[in-house]
Amino acid sequence: MALIATYAGKKRTVQLGIALALVAWVALDATGGGGEGWARVWARLPILLTGNGSGWPLSGGFALNVFLSLCAMAMAALLGTALGFGMLAKNRLVRVPCFFVMNFLRNSPWLVLLFAMLYIIPFNVRLFGVSIAIPAFAKAVIGLALPTAANFAEIIRGAVQSIHSGQWEAARALGYMPMAIYGRIILPQALRRMIPGWMNLYALLMIATSLATVTGIQDVITTLNTLLAMENERVIVYFYITALFLFFAFCYPLALLARRMEQSVKGDSL
Amino acid sequence: MNRTDALIELDQVTKSFGAFQVLKGISLAVKDGEAVCIIGPSGSGKSTILRCINGLIPINSGSIRVGTHEVHKMKTEKEMRPLRHQVSMVFQQYNLFPHRTALQNVMMAPVQVLGHDRREVEARARRLLAKVRLSEKADAYPGQLSGGQQQRVAIARALAMEPQVILFDEVTAALDPETVKEVLTAIRELVDEGLTCILVTHEMKFAREVADRVCFTDHGRIVESGPPAQIFDAPQDPRTREFLGQVL
Ligand SMILES: Nc1ncnc2c1ncn2[C@@H]1O[C@H](COP(=O)(O)OP(=O)(O)O)[C@@H](O)[C@H]1O
Ligand SMILES: [Mg+2]
Repeated sequence: MALIATYAGKKRTVQLGIALALVAWVALDATGGGGEGWARVWARLPILLTGNGSGWPLSGGFALNVFLSLCAMAMAALLGTALGFGMLAKNRLVRVPCFFVMNFLRNSPWLVLLFAMLYIIPFNVRLFGVSIAIPAFAKAVIGLALPTAANFAEIIRGAVQSIHSGQWEAARALGYMPMAIYGRIILPQALRRMIPGWMNLYALLMIATSLATVTGIQDVITTLNTLLAMENERVIVYFYITALFLFFAFCYPLALLARRMEQSVKGDSL
Repeated sequence: MNRTDALIELDQVTKSFGAFQVLKGISLAVKDGEAVCIIGPSGSGKSTILRCINGLIPINSGSIRVGTHEVHKMKTEKEMRPLRHQVSMVFQQYNLFPHRTALQNVMMAPVQVLGHDRREVEARARRLLAKVRLSEKADAYPGQLSGGQQQRVAIARALAMEPQVILFDEVTAALDPETVKEVLTAIRELVDEGLTCILVTHEMKFAREVADRVCFTDHGRIVESGPPAQIFDAPQDPRTREFLGQVL
């Protein structure tokens, strides 16, 4: 207990130190003309956030990253659930291919998968004689959803397999059928262990949406690059710090919440 | 013993895990209302015998009959459902469902598996919790209960299925010495009421008091069996003598 207390204390000191150093740097920098840089950022902030100079309607920028991450997560949840239960299947013919797909997707660089989608998915598809254009946004969603789905599936598998085998045994001894065991006993317990993992995964996915600039969508990075072409070189660093902070401010609370949930789940069974 | 009036009958049961033969021909007959204790060193296959009886693990050869059920012929969980209704099991590690309260743990299977009326099951569950002296803990989650309390909930859960037979697998082995007694008291009452019980136990004093018959297992065989007085006071086999010498 004492060890944990000192660790938490040290951590808080370090965090405080970093925060103070940041404030000190900004203050010092402001005396040397940094205020001007922040003023430029402030003037462009609506475009960075929404892709729109007046801030409305939402047409890109950071809002598009958020939307992209939500779409990719939804798709990953569907694919990942199927893949996850495929890996838990009794039948080898189902299980082995699912493992293969999961490992392949999980061990590919996200950027490579995005580029691959860009070139594999055609610009147009013909369906019943109607030609449908596939927007870059859809490719970005698919490209990001694939590796996320693989991680999503692995979280499901890990959580289900972390449930003590005695739970299966007790349920079988009470006459439950396999599907009912999943539905009534294993999944309700495993879900509590999955949710923090999924939240961490979502935070990672959100960070990875910055890669989607390679598909040419008007996300915050693309917007940033367009803006920077018109800006003085000295202010560039302020824009990048701002972009960094946007992602941090979005993802860090999620990670914190996930950590807290993980701790509350720990030791709750057996 | 006349074999036909046995409720449970194992005949030359063998079981291997991979190349390792755990059961090397187990034959055992248990009459209705009888309490049989299985004792023996750890790893001798005691738990495996119990798990074979209610079909949790399939056997390699031999036959197992429980009432009219031919366990060795059953392949699917669905076929085993009537068997599981008839034979309940209590585990060393309790294995309560941690996401459900004590009362819900007791009620779940009768409602969800047997399809009994919920109100009737709730009355039964409360009666059983009272029987194991845990009425006031009905709404507690397993994590909030002591080991002995959890084990008594597990016994109530097994009883709620209204089984003909209960298998107890070292149900006191994970408990503190003080709480062992409360669990043994609950089991003793069941034996006295005439429920058929097979108990794997290390509590020799308890075995001597409640058992109609004691079986000593070693290396996958039943080495010796008989009334407790005979096994404990006049063991025939040297292995039994050695084992009892160590534990008594
Ligand atoms: N699922 C299993 N897979 C492989 N070996 C097992 C399994 N279950 C039990 N065993 C082995 O079978 C032997 C007997 O186990 P068990 O019946 O649990 O013994 P006991 O209950 O008498 O201590 C042990 O050596 C154990 O390692
Ligand atoms: Mg055992």
